[in-house]
Formats: sequence, structure tokens, C-alpha cells
Amino acid sequence: MSLSRPYLLHHLLQNSASNYPREPAVRAGSRQLTYGELDSLSDRVAASLRSAGVAKGDRVGIYVPKSMASIIGVYSILKSGGAYVPFDPEAPPDRLAFIAKDCGVRTILSCTSKRPGVEELIAKGAPITNVLMIDSDTVKGPGDAESSKFTESSWAKIQESALPLPEAGSNETDTAYILYTSGSTGVPKGVMISHRNSLAFVEWAADVVDLSQSDTVACHAPLHFDISTFSIFSTCGAGGKVLMLPEKASTFPIETANLIEKEGVSVWYSVPSALILLALYGNLQKHDFKRLRAVVFAGEVFPVKYLKQLVSLLPRARFMNWYGPTETNVCTSFEVTRLDDSVTSIPIGKACANSEVFALTEDGRVVSKPGETGELLVRGPTVMQGYWGDKEKTKKHIVTNPLNPALEERVYKTGDLVTLDGEGNYLYIGRRDGMIKTRGYRVEIGDIEAAIYQHPSVKEVVVVPIPDDIVGNRLHAVISPRDGKTPTKEEIQMFCSSKLPKYMIPDTVAFLPSLPKTSSGKMDRVALAQGARSGT
Amino acid sequence: MTGESRDTIAESSIIDFITKEIVTRPELLPIGLDTQLIESGILDSLSILRLVSFIEDKFSVKVSPEDVVGENFETVKSIIGFVNAKKK
Repeated sequence: MSLSRPYLLHHLLQNSASNYPREPAVRAGSRQLTYGELDSLSDRVAASLRSAGVAKGDRVGIYVPKSMASIIGVYSILKSGGAYVPFDPEAPPDRLAFIAKDCGVRTILSCTSKRPGVEELIAKGAPITNVLMIDSDTVKGPGDAESSKFTESSWAKIQESALPLPEAGSNETDTAYILYTSGSTGVPKGVMISHRNSLAFVEWAADVVDLSQSDTVACHAPLHFDISTFSIFSTCGAGGKVLMLPEKASTFPIETANLIEKEGVSVWYSVPSALILLALYGNLQKHDFKRLRAVVFAGEVFPVKYLKQLVSLLPRARFMNWYGPTETNVCTSFEVTRLDDSVTSIPIGKACANSEVFALTEDGRVVSKPGETGELLVRGPTVMQGYWGDKEKTKKHIVTNPLNPALEERVYKTGDLVTLDGEGNYLYIGRRDGMIKTRGYRVEIGDIEAAIYQHPSVKEVVVVPIPDDIVGNRLHAVISPRDGKTPTKEEIQMFCSSKLPKYMIPDTVAFLPSLPKTSSGKMDRVALAQGARSGT
Repeated sequence: MTGESRDTIAESSIIDFITKEIVTRPELLPIGLDTQLIESGILDSLSILRLVSFIEDKFSVKVSPEDVVGENFETVKSIIGFVNAKKK
């Protein structure tokens, strides 16, 4: 028996498929699927996943470039009862193999172009035994190659799966997906989000943006970035159309702008840097974007001068700033209603409905007025289940509510420092630790340093963030070499590229005979950052 | 200076800039005239902007938003073609 309200993410799709079977659900390039088609295709793939042995709670990888296959893959994994684990198609095999081993991914959805990548993951120890090829251009017929290392199912074979799909027996507290983010000790950590956690955000977001069947929502972010859940789930819940943008869609702002106009995008949600590029180089004044009614940004600070430009170019749209670490989905929101000269930064706003946020000063007092600074804590249904396989780390970040210890309420400590403005909005100030934002991604400086330390010619390394208006931060590595054997910048970058995703590779590298230390013997990060900024 | 040798100098300065300032994954080196810059991921939205300001300084041309499109940045060869057209 099922409830009439959605309590699993794929109910959103199933409801829209029964309400609007012939309406467009998703568009990618020149391909389009209706709700009926998306629902039945994902049923078939889900049935294949079951035949491949996937059962409730299993982690299933999805390793495809952003395309129609991405959204089919997400819904089929959820329908099979599994939790989806997005594999960044651009990330190095070492990191992806780690993820597969860490959360025990045995089955993976992939495609022809990523097949060599899958083989490399297996060679590096990923426990993958089943690969389902979900690009429809897979040419192999039924019968399928059985290689010695894994079983491969072609799209044609997937189409033959028996339906209807029996219920997996999931409930809303089951894990829906695991997103890996940068960890401070050089090991990525898996953020587990349950159906309930995600739905709490997805339904709130659809409400706030007032999504409806007439909306076209651009899916700009990759699957491993939680921003993507808004377009994939909120839109399908409302019966609107998802426009899947390929990874390279933002390369040429002018082409992105043309696409927004041509496809009639009505809601856009991305990191600020993509919007800044549109404002500066998208030739936006040439379009009228009649349908674009809401622009939402999150993930990093939007410099006011660029936001002003964008707002003046898109006078019809509402603008909203959403805030929340991956661990909490979105927990605060702010609608930009004025941008006069007195506005110097965009607040992260107030708690979303059904969430609670508060900030505590170092001595444990609640931040209650402008001028006080404290760490932001979050309580509510959007807060993650925990980090996969790491109870210690989970305990460190999810604590009993210090304001209400008798109730054993879980609150997430964000590590973000905030203050209040005169209207009760929270303002983001910075981090308590070594985490930074670059291109909208959270990056632990220690994660990059741990990778560089593994290079045999590196004695000491410090990575310093160099603030940048457009990308948030650029990364600068300062290295003192071992035994006078100085590697080249290219060598270091090459070494990093085998261990880290592209956005974590230092943009610049400098070498010093020894690194400056503070009086307590720690690396003098402040001096190194100043040196980097002044070019010494 | 002949047009041809001017092109050769332009080619090597663009290749040099991309190699030293843009590529963060050295397995993508060396860059040749026909290396796919977009397809391979060497150029992304942000590095193109750095390349554009380099081109503006180096060749004294003004690059407008309309110029920043795929066909002008596919390869070093297409960049040279685009710069030459700009200069005329």
C-alpha cells in the first residue's frame, strides 16, 4: 500500500507520469522524453538492476556524462531500492575507485564513452561486478559480452526486462543518494541523504519558487553536486520540464544565453560563477528572456557588483540566494529585493520553512544581534543521515542540540561563521577551518596538501587560497622540495591530476627552499598568502 | 615580415600561453595546432576569459562577447584564424 503523498523521491516522477503521461519531462540536446516515457524507461532499467542483484539499500554508481542517461539512471536506481552514488565523469580513476571501495559499489550504470574508465576503476580495486550500459547508442545486441571481470548488460537487453517492477520495500528513512565531498585528511567523505532529507528540501524549493507544469528548469550542475537535485526532483514533482545541460554547456556564455532563450528556460539554479560569466559575456541585452522568471544561486558568495549587473540585465526575474552545506541540503534562503548602494553583501537569509538555524558564539551564547559572530547550526528534516562508514566523523558534526539537550535532537554544525544584519538575516563571514570554496565546490585545503605530500620530491607544502571575484578562490601551492630535487610545476599538477578532481588542482605552484613558520612552529599561512598575492 | 612567419610567431605564443598558464592536467600536453581545446576540456568557461585577455593584449585586438563562441576557440588554428580576421 502506498500513501497518497510522495514519501520516496521517485513517487514525484510516478505521480507526474500518471497525471501528465504525454507532457515533456526532460530534454537533452535534441532528445526529449515525456513523463510516461521517462517513467517506463526507468522502470526497465530498475528491473535490470534487480536482475543484476541490486536490493534495498545497495549503493549503485552512476558514471555517465551529463545527458538523458543521467536522469534515467537516477530514477531507475531509486526505483530499484538502491541509493545512487554519482561518479564525477571528470574525476581521476584513483578517487573514483576509492569511492567505489568506500561504499561498496558493486553495480554501476555507465555508457560506451566511460567503458574504459569503468575498466580502470576495476583495475584499481573497485568491487564492481555488474555494469549496465544505459546509453541507447550501445550497439551490442542481446546476448552480451561476458568479460571475466564483470557482467555487462546492453541497452537492448535492458529493454527486455520483465515488468511490472515489484516494490523494493523502501521507506522515507532509507538512503536515496550519497554525495562525496572533499575531506580534510585527504579522504573524500560520503554524505548520506535519505528520501525524507531530500524530499523536505525538494518540496520546500518547489513551493518557494512556485514551480508548475509550465516551467522549464535548467539542470546546470553535475549530479555529484547537490544543486542538481532541485532540477531533477522538484521539477518532476511539479510536472515541469527539465533541461539537461551538458558539462560543457557553460563554456561559452553566449551559447548558454541563446539556449536559455530558445528552450524557454523559466527557472535557473546554479553557482554564482556561471551567472557572472553570463552577465559579463553572455550578451544578455540582446535577449528578452520572456520566460525567465526565477534565478537562484547557491554555493558561494555572489559579489554585489556582478549581481547588480545581472539584475539590470534580467529585470523580469526574481533572484534568490539559497544556502546550505551538502549535509543539510538548503537551510536558509534570501530573496534579493533591493540592491541600492547601501548593500555591500548578499545575506544568506533566514531559515527555510520546516528548518531551524541558530548561531553560537565561541562561549556558547546564541548570536542575537548584529556584530556578534558565531558558528551556524542547523536542525530539521533536511539534515543528512551521516557520513557513510564514518560514525566518528558523523558524531563530530552532528551533535545533540546544545540548546535543548534533554530531547536528544540532532543538529548539524556547519563550521560556517555568520553574523546577523539589522533585519534578522544571517550573513556569511567565513569558515572556522581550512575549508574553502572554489567554483562553487567545497574544498578542504588539507585534502590537496595530503595529495601533494605523497610526491617523493616534496618535503613541505602549503596550499593557499587566493580570493578571486569570479571563481571564489584560486589555488596556489607553495612547496619546499626534498634534497634539493625541485620538481616542475607541470610535474606537481600532473601528480595532482591523478589523485584529485580538476577543481582541486593548484592553478599555480611556487617553490621555496623552506616554508616560513610562525613562532609556534606552524606553517605561516598568512605570510604565504600575502606572498602569493604580491607575486613573491 | 611575411604573413606566414607572423602566423608562426602567433601560433607559438598562443601555444605557449595555453601550455604554461591554462593546462592543469599535463597528460593533455603537448598542445598542437589541431589539438581539440574545448572537447578535451583544456579550455573551460573561466580559462577562456584568461586566454581572451591574453589575446587582446598580445595582438592589440578587441574581443567582443559575440566573438567568444565555440568555432573561434576549437583549436589553436581556429584562434589564429579568428585573430587574423579581427585584425583586418
